[in-house]
Amino acid sequence: MNSVSPSAAQYVGLVMQDEQVESWRQPPLERQRSFGFRTPQASDSSREAAREPDEMEKVKAKLMSAWNNVKYGWTIKTKTSFNKVSPVTILGHSYLLNSEDEVERFRRDFVSRIWLTYRREFPPLDGSTWTTDCGWGCMLRSGQMLLAQGLVVHLMPRDWAWPDAQQLTDVDFEVFRPRSPVRAGGVPIPSFGSLRGSSTPEKIPASSQAPKFCPRKRPDSAKDQQAEPIHSKLITWFGDQPPAPFGVHQLVEIGKSSGKKAGDWYGPSIVAHILRKAVAKNSVAQNLAVYVAQDCTVYKEDVLRLCDPSLTPADPSNQAWKSVIILVPVRLGGEALNPSYIECVKNILKLDCCIGVIGGKPKHSLYFIGFQDDQLLYLDPHLCQPTVDVAQADFSLESFHCSSPKKMPFSRMDPSCTIGFYAKNKKDFESLCSAVSTAISSSKEKYPIFTFVEGQGQDYGLEGPSSNHSGPLAHILPPGPLSRSNTRRSSEEFVFL
Amino acid sequence: MPPFDRTPQQNKPFKQRKSFATRRHEVAGIRSKFPNKIPVIIERYEKEKYLPPLDKTKFLVPHELTMTQFVTIIRNRMALLPSQAFYLLINNSGLASMSLTMAQVYKDHQDEDGFLYMTYASQEMFGH
Repeated sequence: MNSVSPSAAQYVGLVMQDEQVESWRQPPLERQRSFGFRTPQASDSSREAAREPDEMEKVKAKLMSAWNNVKYGWTIKTKTSFNKVSPVTILGHSYLLNSEDEVERFRRDFVSRIWLTYRREFPPLDGSTWTTDCGWGCMLRSGQMLLAQGLVVHLMPRDWAWPDAQQLTDVDFEVFRPRSPVRAGGVPIPSFGSLRGSSTPEKIPASSQAPKFCPRKRPDSAKDQQAEPIHSKLITWFGDQPPAPFGVHQLVEIGKSSGKKAGDWYGPSIVAHILRKAVAKNSVAQNLAVYVAQDCTVYKEDVLRLCDPSLTPADPSNQAWKSVIILVPVRLGGEALNPSYIECVKNILKLDCCIGVIGGKPKHSLYFIGFQDDQLLYLDPHLCQPTVDVAQADFSLESFHCSSPKKMPFSRMDPSCTIGFYAKNKKDFESLCSAVSTAISSSKEKYPIFTFVEGQGQDYGLEGPSSNHSGPLAHILPPGPLSRSNTRRSSEEFVFL
Repeated sequence: MPPFDRTPQQNKPFKQRKSFATRRHEVAGIRSKFPNKIPVIIERYEKEKYLPPLDKTKFLVPHELTMTQFVTIIRNRMALLPSQAFYLLINNSGLASMSLTMAQVYKDHQDEDGFLYMTYASQEMFGH
């Protein structure tokens, strides 16, 4: 029933610690390198590879694709535990999982998020032989999920939930654990995981401790049902076909102007700019714009100019205020996440206007949507699923939603990330500015991770690339020609600014 | 882009190239000559792969210069595009707000030797 990971079934029940999983994965990783496949360090060999005949590339792509299917298709299931004493936050909504009702609300919220993963066997990416993004496109997928969440709040009714949201799998809720210490006796703890594979999850034996969900009518359920066509439509925009406006084909194409190509690794800042261009280029999201902050600064006047067509009289046809997705690429530390920013990231994820954070563990991109205690809650793109033909009228939505929430400690978060926000209108934008400013100024670190300033970037000496070397500040010591022999000495001298 | 050639000597961080006493002495000398300037050390993050090295590490910066202006100067020296990720980390760990002046940052974060240390880095790439 679940097309997600059929091969995982044989591993269910196999309990492995995280470290063991890592060590299990290690040897194959080394093997991958010895095959000469791309690693971020191996850019020289990849340039050579580009000159090799197409045949070789095809074989390589096939091998790579086959390998990644093995690598990402077999996920070892570990259960994610949620306690009942600390609230779980998902993008501004908090759930204290101490009752069935709350777990049910949490389930509906989590499963309704749009999940985009690696796909295989899609039409080749233009100018390459790649027919999958397994093993390299995870940051693009995280970016897609962030944009999809932005589109959900933009287009769907407030607090929309997917009426067909699946039951959760591979989770363990404290609230459903038996109180007596039977656990020590080796009695398996009932959990939603036990529902896995059952075709009729409603028919749980009465003796089971597993929660029984009677799908109660929510007051909004009629509204949610009506929004279903938009939900499907929205997912088609992320389809793995060249014409899909936010599909991997389009995103890779747009990324070429930033010097990226199919098979490359992407960063959260590059992806932010790719998303901005993709939205600007496509008419499907006409009343939506994307703003990307530069140097950790949101210039409010620039956002207003982007959203308010009356400020730019060039286009008198459209006078409506555009909604806006604000993306802020940041680096929250050098080698590792600066721990004093953890509180700040939590505060951001608690905000209603937050649409998530794209980042990950080092080299491994994830889409962060919430947290519980010191663990981030995320959607993981690292599952290689077959491509779904979204052009078909009744394509299945199931592989675009995730039923197993996963957590990881904040301490493992890579410092490079992009934070996303959404404002529907001007009033929303104003309250976003003040809410976010409050959230980020409560950090233990002396300075906030980014700031909102009045005015435009150009008021502060920031202009387009053409202004480089000619702006008002450029009179200050251009890097003059240095003779090789005295480079060493002169680098020890002070530069006067 | 030319290869990032650096002599082994330059590869070592400034703090390891010179003793505390030397650094302290250097700051005292330059501060007495230029009391209205702040001595700043800017170095490339040791694992940085995408941003070029700077030809200089030591800067004397006016008090009233804002972080925005400072970052723009460094970006221009490297000829970066506005959309290219570039972050200045104070003491290799925290970001400084762009609206702060160098004097404020110096007051809060100067090293014991009297220099202000900053590291520049882009963003990491993800792929596995």
